[in-house]
Amino acid sequence: MRDQVYIIGDEVISPLGAGSELNFQRLRDGHTAIAPVVDANLCDHPIYAAQMDDAPWHHLVKDARHYTRLERLSILVLQRLIDKHDIPLDNETLVILSTTKGNISLLGNPESAFPQQRANLTAMAEAIRRYFGFENPLLTLSNACISGALAISVARRLLRYNSRYKRAIVAGGDELSRFVVSGFDAFQALADGPCRPFDRDRKGLNLGEAVVAVYLSTTPTQDAVEILGVGSSNDANHISGPSRTGEGLYLSIQEATHEAGNITPDFISAHGTATPYNDEMESIAFQRCGLSAVPTHSLKGYFGHTLGASGLLETVMAIHSLKNNELIPSHGFAHPGTSQPLNIITQRAAQPLSTFLKTASGFGGCNIAMMIQKV
Amino acid sequence: MERSNYGIRSYCSIRGRSVRVDGNSFLTADPAMPLGDFLKSAYRKLAIDYPKFHKMDGLCKAIFVAAELIARASGPYKRHTALVFANRSSSYLSDSRHAHDIFRPDDPQASPATFVYTLPNIAMGEISIRHQLQSENVFFIFDSYLPEFMVPYVHATLDGQQSGKGVLCGWTEVTEETCDLLLYRIGTSGKLAHSIAQLKKLYNEEDE
Repeated sequence: MRDQVYIIGDEVISPLGAGSELNFQRLRDGHTAIAPVVDANLCDHPIYAAQMDDAPWHHLVKDARHYTRLERLSILVLQRLIDKHDIPLDNETLVILSTTKGNISLLGNPESAFPQQRANLTAMAEAIRRYFGFENPLLTLSNACISGALAISVARRLLRYNSRYKRAIVAGGDELSRFVVSGFDAFQALADGPCRPFDRDRKGLNLGEAVVAVYLSTTPTQDAVEILGVGSSNDANHISGPSRTGEGLYLSIQEATHEAGNITPDFISAHGTATPYNDEMESIAFQRCGLSAVPTHSLKGYFGHTLGASGLLETVMAIHSLKNNELIPSHGFAHPGTSQPLNIITQRAAQPLSTFLKTASGFGGCNIAMMIQKV
Repeated sequence: MERSNYGIRSYCSIRGRSVRVDGNSFLTADPAMPLGDFLKSAYRKLAIDYPKFHKMDGLCKAIFVAAELIARASGPYKRHTALVFANRSSSYLSDSRHAHDIFRPDDPQASPATFVYTLPNIAMGEISIRHQLQSENVFFIFDSYLPEFMVPYVHATLDGQQSGKGVLCGWTEVTEETCDLLLYRIGTSGKLAHSIAQLKKLYNEEDE
């Protein structure tokens, strides 16, 4: 029998504020971070996005000017988590950094105040390691939009099968950049208004930014959640479009559900980017898994698509749904708009919750599903 | 954490202008040959018809060739064969191309065909399509080749696999003109031990 792995702490900094509880409260109050953004550094035309004003927190990082914006934000979210839980920084603590594009805003950018080499993910990881003095180098992974969720799975595996580590910190972050905005714009994937996940009238996604950190342990605390099962599978179908049959996501959910003991989740925190193909694919995968009736939301209508951070961010918010026994509505949804029916949450609802399914999908055909339950 | 129940079934290296499979030369060329031309000649020597190859960036092309040769040497991959790759520069080849496109003073413009390759895991998507692998993909970023991490991690991955145990893994550092690649396939049987010492030896083999 392998050790069980628990998430015993979490922290979030997003455009909705600093702190997991605060972010969850903002969701309860129906606040969205998505707004028109006019920023010549990001795009030559206005876009709808969820942008963070990090200036108020700048002074909290020692020698802030030595760190890029994303490094500062990552340091802040890690500091909050480490302080709150008094996490030892010794060699029994595994630290994972997950990001889709890291400091990519520096690359080729004539305005960059840092050397080009800082755009390399190992440079970002080393800057963060040095700030805290972690004994272990940060383990860095980059797997498109499933990076954060996948990092939880990697940490769990190392805690279960590798006696070297007793605990893990999984951090993830991505920021808005011209690099990413121009690419999604070229793909015609950006909506010209607030995004509408799973809705009939969805026209694309909004980009967002966030930094998130979670604390994993093989020793549960009273308000911990347990990672019951994880599955991850490639579609083997297309590098930039989701599978028409939802094959990879279907297989991921089946694997996670099987490992969790074939239980049905109380709700699903879906990927729900609000692109026509992605949301359609998810509806097919959920239908094939017999999950069409399970209450489902996407949080992209509040935070936008925070790329590699999204899986972590949405997992943390779902954990707070469990703790508060409260379902959060899927912002931006009004009319069903997928070929397979879904039970999209449209009203806040207080009800006993014990288990949720988190799913994420990304470019390259990757998918992941995690079943998480209250202790 | 080293155990001997998993072994290396086959391995392929692409270093300089040399492609080797299980220690035997598959192709060598003049070190002055541009990397793009070299990878294209390796593809031609495979004698397959796969037009998508020509759309890929250098990272994907090198991984594609190595994955193909390993399948030839050790048999078709099982559907659940997990992919665990690592390199230093992530998708820098395509990242720098996209950054150039969007910051050039005259007519800055993003190309979707370039942008799609600005993720290291796209290469894993490409070979998943080619070999119909519906499996877990993880792409790590390290400063250098790190069997000290990869061996125990891949052991843990294999231990956790429910059926059809197998992992295709390796170091895949590709820049504009240099290729430093070692892919290897791990399973429950294999000619060589899946150990840190063995993988250090294979990595340095062609330098000897």
